[in-house]
Amino acid sequence: MTKGKDEMRRQLASLSFTEKIKILEKLRDRSLGLAAVGLRQKRVSEQPIVGKETSANRKEE
Amino acid sequence: MGNFVDNGFVKRTIELINALQVDGIIHHYAIGGAVAATFYLEPAATLDVDVFVLLSNPGGSLVSLTPIYEYLKARGGIEDREHIVLGDWPVQFLVPANDLETEAIAASIPVDVEGVRTWIMLAEHLVAIAISTGRAKDYIRVVQFIKEKAVDQVILQAILKNHGLLSKWEQFQHKYLEGSS
Repeated sequence: MTKGKDEMRRQLASLSFTEKIKILEKLRDRSLGLAAVGLRQKRVSEQPIVGKETSANRKEE
Repeated sequence: MGNFVDNGFVKRTIELINALQVDGIIHHYAIGGAVAATFYLEPAATLDVDVFVLLSNPGGSLVSLTPIYEYLKARGGIEDREHIVLGDWPVQFLVPANDLETEAIAASIPVDVEGVRTWIMLAEHLVAIAISTGRAKDYIRVVQFIKEKAVDQVILQAILKNHGLLSKWEQFQHKYLEGSS
């Protein structure tokens, strides 16, 4: 497994700079995508539940 | 290695930085940081490009990057805090903070990206700057450089010695390299 990883690293390191830059662009797009998903999830979880009656928000009639 | 999407963003970014040099806004530049390290190592995720510049007219003690920002904004660059976004890549322009970084710019090597010429710092300078900066993420990169034998030890030792970094290097070796082979 480690040998496979090392071999993969060597293969990646031996690519041309142009090819590596294209990988960098993909890695960056993926990181930004993941960060955006994280932010969306955070916003959703922080939103109050609207329209659902609970014992906490029930008004006394 | 499969097909990668060629969106040409980095090429456009480099063309804009080269234009700064052609039009005399900067004297010379070199890419440093993670993007430069990628030239020597496997690609590692980064969100921006670090560009070290020697200004054409550095002025007095107060160095301003305003001419660079104004030039690039007039050509579509968008200022975003410490970055300017060029061709979809946030670029951070840095003036050398010390002699080591000035030397690293001067000794940078020409490299082609999609047929466009750019300048990349030497691996030994990238390692020396990382040792000088001393952040954890920089140390991780130095370990990679050493493990992959991507640096010339004679050149590295000379640079470290010239810039008074030998004791920092010894501390780094003791903490991160001893016992690992």
